[in-house]
Amino acid sequence: MKLQQKLVLLTTLSKGLMAAILLLALPWVVQTLVMRHTDSALRTELRQVQARIAQVGIGEFLPQGSGVRRTHYDLLQDEFIDLQATTSQPFRDTIGTFPRRQHGAAVDFRVLRHSGYYQGQLYTFEIGKSIASVEDVYNLLRTSAGYALAFTVLTTLLIELGVIGHLLRPVDHIVERLRAVRGPQAPDFPPLCTTTSDFQYLDASIQQMLLKIQRVFEQERQFIANASHELLTPISILQNRFENMLRAENLPEEAEAQLVTSQKTLQRMTATLRTLLLISRVENNQFPRNETVDVREVLTDAVEELEDRIGHKQISLRWNLAGQPTLAPASRTLIFTLIINLLSNAIKYNRAGGEIEISGQLEASEAYVLHIRNTGKAIAADNLPHLFERFRRFDPEAAEGEGLGLAVVRSIAQLHFVQIMVTSEEARGTTFSLRLPPVLPATM
Amino acid sequence: MNVLIVEDDRALARELGLFLYDEHYHCDFARTGREASEKLFVNEYDFVLLDLGLPDQDGLELLAQARKERNKDASIIILSARGSVDDRINGLNLGADDYLPKPYSLLELGSRMQAVTRRKHGVVEDKLSFGGFVLNLSDRSLRHGDTPIVVTRKEFDLLHYLLLHRSKVLTRLQLSEHIWGSTMTDSSDHDSNYIDVHVKNVRKKLAQADPENEWIETVRGIGYRLRPDNAAPAPAPAPAA
Repeated sequence: MKLQQKLVLLTTLSKGLMAAILLLALPWVVQTLVMRHTDSALRTELRQVQARIAQVGIGEFLPQGSGVRRTHYDLLQDEFIDLQATTSQPFRDTIGTFPRRQHGAAVDFRVLRHSGYYQGQLYTFEIGKSIASVEDVYNLLRTSAGYALAFTVLTTLLIELGVIGHLLRPVDHIVERLRAVRGPQAPDFPPLCTTTSDFQYLDASIQQMLLKIQRVFEQERQFIANASHELLTPISILQNRFENMLRAENLPEEAEAQLVTSQKTLQRMTATLRTLLLISRVENNQFPRNETVDVREVLTDAVEELEDRIGHKQISLRWNLAGQPTLAPASRTLIFTLIINLLSNAIKYNRAGGEIEISGQLEASEAYVLHIRNTGKAIAADNLPHLFERFRRFDPEAAEGEGLGLAVVRSIAQLHFVQIMVTSEEARGTTFSLRLPPVLPATM
Repeated sequence: MNVLIVEDDRALARELGLFLYDEHYHCDFARTGREASEKLFVNEYDFVLLDLGLPDQDGLELLAQARKERNKDASIIILSARGSVDDRINGLNLGADDYLPKPYSLLELGSRMQAVTRRKHGVVEDKLSFGGFVLNLSDRSLRHGDTPIVVTRKEFDLLHYLLLHRSKVLTRLQLSEHIWGSTMTDSSDHDSNYIDVHVKNVRKKLAQADPENEWIETVRGIGYRLRPDNAAPAPAPAPAA
């Protein structure tokens, strides 16, 4: 789940929870508020009654004759004042809710009870207010509160969605940049445009990491280049010396043979070094890629270069190339090296009298896929992932090569954004497939 | 012919000098860019063999300088271990006549020097012959009398190289260096064993046309040579075409 979705889910849940709590607490809140309001109204009324008694005397409120108790109702009978002479002890003011029968139905009344002396006589006052109307108020409140809450939740959610999206946009930017990194030479990114310090920190850390990786790669490449270069000079000396020695006349036959063997060993070393240098140069981007390469033509040239070996092993070549495979921008020299390495392997690991098929077609994705299939012994599935590693060789019987050919192929392919795939099965042989990226119309 | 060898490695310069002396060149040595500049200022050379990685100067600067002064007619061959594509292109653009990446075979260097000389003097033979065979360099074809013989590119190169150094023994390494030197491929393709395959094929084709003679001789374990026309004991110079 994306962070944005999670955050939205979180705020939605918390808002929902808040709304639920508010709605659940509403009856209690409303009741408390109404009670308070009623209670203070009752007290005010009590004071008014007391003031009135002080003005006109208590007789006005008591019934004529016996004059002990009287209850006054207002017109709608949802308020009453009850006055009663009593002989018991005075008590402190109390407020409570009591049911009262009115027209045969029990109605809850909020009642204030008060006792006080008037002209030596103790009286109790009861002032009551019906609270039946509270229920209506509550219902009304609940409905409107529900609507208000729903509206608020929705609007804030929409705002948050936008804000979260905006806040998290740098994440997409960072990911985009990381995906754009091809190989150790990362392009120089401008600093990320964000005010969120966490993202700035993340971006800075990634930049640092990229730089570090770049440095390590740089060092490795430099090392290979230096080592190869420093070794090439002594090799040159030896090779030239052997050559000079072999030119000498009346050299004993045995010495001659040994010199030739040494020369061979030296030659192997030279080849390995040259290949390592080539890989390091490719990875160091030292080959200008500024040509549009006609792959069919390169294939033809490479086949011509290898025709003797193909003929010698009596291998038949099948062409099944559709369309015009092109690669741009590219280095023709490198593409030639890539192709010739693959073809050379296809010969080397083929059986005598076998077959090599060169086929290819344009895919729906506009990428051209080229297959080079040979009818050699299948490569074990376990070995396939390691095929392109340096100095890897899987066939102990094949005495030739140092296991660098496919490493060269890989680095050249990577430089040109060409994807390589290998499949190998006993029946069909081994196929190396190259997916050439579509040629963009606006290339160099 | 005078050759200036600009090379900072003493041992390498020595081997080069030995070989060229043997080939009747007169050699002069410079180990730094300064030394080379001085010698180029004073002397006239037919050839400058230039190492690019000099201790005090980039060889390419020296090349540009050499082209301007006294030695502007000298043939310059770059010998470099740097071997980057740019170096090669820059070198040739600055007027070098050829470029050989180190390590190179001395024989190859000798052949290139000869080729440069021939080009300079306008001596471009387009036909070379031995026995009844004629190698046509312009259309890269081989004929025996009037019969054309179909050879592959590599077979032609092999025969041509053997013919250029006729009567001399060429090692497999020298042959493979010449035939595959410029293609950058895995070590296996430089393998000098493939030379045997080519030689076998060329022999077969030559024998079809001329069964009497074995033109390409195997010399012990070392390599091959193209037999002189009359199998005389002393190696005769190659007859002019």
